[in-house]
Amino acid sequence: MRNYMIRRAGHSVFIVLGLMALLFFATNVLGDPVELLLSDDATDQQIDALRKQYGFDRPLHVRFGEFFGNIFKGDFGRSYRFHLEARDLVLERLPNTALLALVAWSLGALGIPIGMIAARRPRGMMDRIVNILSFAIISIPDFWLALMIILLVAVQFDLLPTSGFNGLGPQGWKYLVLPAIALCPRVMGRNAQITRAVMIDEMGKQYVATARAKGLAEKTVLYRHVLKNASIAIVTVMGAEMAGFMNGATIVEIIFGWPGLGKLLIDAIFVRDLPVITATVFTVALMVMVINLIVDLVYTWLDPRISYK
Amino acid sequence: MQDTTISLERRANPIKAIWRHSLFQAFLNDRITMVSGAFIFLIVVAVVFAPFTAPHKPDELQLDLRHLPPFSYGIATVKDTAARDVQEERYFILGTDHLGRDLVSRLIYGGRISIAVGFLGVVVSGSIGVFLGMVSGYYKGIIDDVIMRAVDVFMSIPLLFLALMVIFVLGPSFKNIIIVFAVARWMLYCRITRGVVMSLREQSFVDAAHAIGCSDWRILSRHMLPNLFTPILTLAALDVPANILTESALSFLGLGIQPPESSWGLMLSSGREYITSAWWIVVVPGMAIFLTALSFNLFGVWMRAVSDPLQRWRWLKATKESREAGVSR
Repeated sequence: MRNYMIRRAGHSVFIVLGLMALLFFATNVLGDPVELLLSDDATDQQIDALRKQYGFDRPLHVRFGEFFGNIFKGDFGRSYRFHLEARDLVLERLPNTALLALVAWSLGALGIPIGMIAARRPRGMMDRIVNILSFAIISIPDFWLALMIILLVAVQFDLLPTSGFNGLGPQGWKYLVLPAIALCPRVMGRNAQITRAVMIDEMGKQYVATARAKGLAEKTVLYRHVLKNASIAIVTVMGAEMAGFMNGATIVEIIFGWPGLGKLLIDAIFVRDLPVITATVFTVALMVMVINLIVDLVYTWLDPRISYK
Repeated sequence: MQDTTISLERRANPIKAIWRHSLFQAFLNDRITMVSGAFIFLIVVAVVFAPFTAPHKPDELQLDLRHLPPFSYGIATVKDTAARDVQEERYFILGTDHLGRDLVSRLIYGGRISIAVGFLGVVVSGSIGVFLGMVSGYYKGIIDDVIMRAVDVFMSIPLLFLALMVIFVLGPSFKNIIIVFAVARWMLYCRITRGVVMSLREQSFVDAAHAIGCSDWRILSRHMLPNLFTPILTLAALDVPANILTESALSFLGLGIQPPESSWGLMLSSGREYITSAWWIVVVPGMAIFLTALSFNLFGVWMRAVSDPLQRWRWLKATKESREAGVSR
């Protein structure tokens, strides 16, 4: 188990580094970093001056080595725009994104009981309604839903503020409600779908017939046996959703003015702030890796038969 | 001689044959799938023949007719052939936008780009994924290792981040959005293809093909590719709505389609400022994205169900039962 975890972590590190190499390749080989920084009408002198200033006139392999050396040191350089350390900017925004993601993700977990209700009687009335609704829900563009929520809740009835952020302060939840509601439906739909599908699948298996035959209450069969076996697939999907939130929140963050990683990245892309982009992509990749590791650990806890060697 | 006549007769009515085919009948019996299929057909036809289906010009400004609500009449001023101003009464079924442009027409023309991105993205990413997956599964060894590690790397980062990275380097345009999908969505095709090819590789018909001297390329394209058709097609059907949603998200951020071209996502973002005074500018394109994505999703799920023999049997049986019970699914 410990050996497996070490190997698994090594694999994750490899993937993150591979991604960073890809980013370096994309920005330094496919595109000229200085041209990405400047607008189209910059003069040659300006380009050369900037090239010298940021050290882009050195050979590629030197820069590549420095790029990776700096990543290991956790140093991504100063933001061209804010003139602050890119790392600090990202670390400041990370908890905000995590908070929004956690809240929306927890709300989305409500899809699991919905899927269970649907699965209790496959092809019954509830099942059909849940099936269609869950497809409807995952087909809604989340940014459109965000705008609709603003239109209804904030503009028509003036219940909650449409944009801003107040941390975890006393009024902080007010700012959190709308973005979380805009984010959660898709996750809820996915959870309901996977729960329903896996539960129906599991209920066709023989151990369910055995459990019923020995006289267990239907509730015990459903919650103790079926749900437990179904939980592996549910955990997989929920892990993927949590990872997806690291980017899925981007547009919603922008619409609601939520100062998270997604907003930071988009702003950085518009002003071509390379250090911030690098730092954000690195952080997100790292978060995704950690989530995947946790999911793997949860597997072994849920199903002791899964032992990693 | 007689043989020929018979075979000709047999071929006489292919439409009838398709009509009688069990899958087509199942399609007709499944109301929701039929409705979504019909909707997709309608949208595609409207979009392909946009110059004929659009009631007005999508970029014709009528500043007097700004913010007309849905189902309203308006007097448009147009130039006739002699360049004189002529009054013309027009009906705007979905209203007009902040520049007095007809929303239906804009929807149809914008849909051209959205739908094209959806399909082209799938074709491009699917081709790349299938090709790499075939090479990876067939040759194994170091090529396989390299490709599969690349899949891991690409799958580790959320789709939108990958898309933003590509747009950051290449700049926003229609072509680059297709490149986004080529870069960001080939991995699943690759994995599925690799799995199928690896299992087919061990089968005797591949050995036989080898024995009679087929080249690797011929084995891959003639013997393996047809077997990939169903799994890839079902994945593709579910990828189209995902691509449409991603494109609209990118365009909404201003990093996708650029004006004067238009797509549903761009219509949405340009109407955003007017949401309080003219809600329909935002609601209409959003509904278009939603309904199209929903139809593709429902249709894709049906395709997945009927392409798997075991599931198909269950699905058809259930549809038949519910038909007989008089309940619509």
